[in-house]
Amino acid sequence: MRCGAGIEARQVDELFINIDPIQAGGRLTPDAMKAVIAYGDGYSVCDNCRKPNRLDYISKPPIAEFHKDVAAWLNMDTVRTVPGARRGFQAVAHTYVHKGDPVLLTSLSHYTEFLAVEEAGGIAREIPADSNHMVTPEATAAKIEEVKREFGRPPVLAFIDHVDYQYGNLHDVKAVTKVAKEHDIPVLYNGAYTVGILPVDGKALGVDFVVGSGHKSMAAPAPSGILAVTAERAAEVFRTTAIAGDVTNRKFGIKEPEMMGCTLMGVTLVGMMASFPHVKERVRHFDRELNNHALVMDALLSIEGTQCLSEYPRKHTMTRVDTTASFDTVAEFHKQRGFYLSSSLEKKGVSGLIPGATKVWKFNTYGTTKKQAHYLADAFISIAYDNGLRLKK
Amino acid sequence: MSKRAVDMTFQALYTLTDLRAVLRETAPSHELDAEQRAQAQRLLDNLERQVVSLKQEMLK
Repeated sequence: MRCGAGIEARQVDELFINIDPIQAGGRLTPDAMKAVIAYGDGYSVCDNCRKPNRLDYISKPPIAEFHKDVAAWLNMDTVRTVPGARRGFQAVAHTYVHKGDPVLLTSLSHYTEFLAVEEAGGIAREIPADSNHMVTPEATAAKIEEVKREFGRPPVLAFIDHVDYQYGNLHDVKAVTKVAKEHDIPVLYNGAYTVGILPVDGKALGVDFVVGSGHKSMAAPAPSGILAVTAERAAEVFRTTAIAGDVTNRKFGIKEPEMMGCTLMGVTLVGMMASFPHVKERVRHFDRELNNHALVMDALLSIEGTQCLSEYPRKHTMTRVDTTASFDTVAEFHKQRGFYLSSSLEKKGVSGLIPGATKVWKFNTYGTTKKQAHYLADAFISIAYDNGLRLKK
Repeated sequence: MSKRAVDMTFQALYTLTDLRAVLRETAPSHELDAEQRAQAQRLLDNLERQVVSLKQEMLK
């Protein structure tokens, strides 16, 4: 079935249990799908844009109210929507980082944080994660001292991922932030895998900026996200334009340069708004998600040779496993080689594993029902059994 | 053509969206339990009514 010339209708989530690590939290709620139907046209949210002509002032649909609600929900003061978390990183880096400034990242930071620093002319310095792939306050303190020795001053900004994309580990952001604050370093909390997944309280964490991803974790269309800031930082990141044309003397009111004026002007924003009540509710039940994830992890770990590379017990539903000593041993002689695992899963109605991966891979069970989690667990066990792998009793 | 025809079109699309959600929740087997079956029945009944209304509005 096609939905346009050469465009197959995507039915992945209708036909399969999708365990793609980056897609799970961004699956739309039915309300978001309905909003997509109604607001698909380009500038659809601008029907009732009135002076002062800025997206976050529009009251019909209730965009202004949404901005306030998101700020309150995250216990921050001011929110803007952005086209993806990366644009939040970019706005903050562009405000605080200048050429040659050292910026603190971690050895598990997402590449877009690096790019944001690079674009601003900054120099990346990484806090090394420990042997358990955790970023600690001790390592943070040591890295700051190292940077001070190298540059003669502390970093101008720190990016800390609450849950990193590589292992899905939950890092002690509050403790790391406390160390950064001792050196007056503003802290950006990267909540790409947490905002919309589990409860986040920006003030309790002590951070200056909270960045979330709509399409990764807030059941919203891509590209979407949020940048939430404290009152102290709002006037800096969300400063308004001061430029004027020399011929026309035009000025541009209260548009914000870091946001390039208005941001999400249609389906991305309304999709995020439509999902928001459901997202607020679902973060309160993250324990259910962890229970479902545990069902699948127990099954995987019952296959001899399988290791969990992420922290264990799991505190997030995205996990990195090493099946070199289990599923990969089958790939050596299987006629489909390494593709047998994804192929076998697909035959059982499971998608999202990178085709060919049998050694180290990630998966995410977020959003599965309990029945689907049981099914997934049974699918892994069944494939292991069918291929002669040993199962622990 | 009427506002009612437009409303019915959207309502039918929304009903289909709710049915789509049932398909997602029950993937990959789409075996419905009693509650899901009752929900699907309700939605399909609604859809039939909406399509009948739409026919009346658009083809009158």
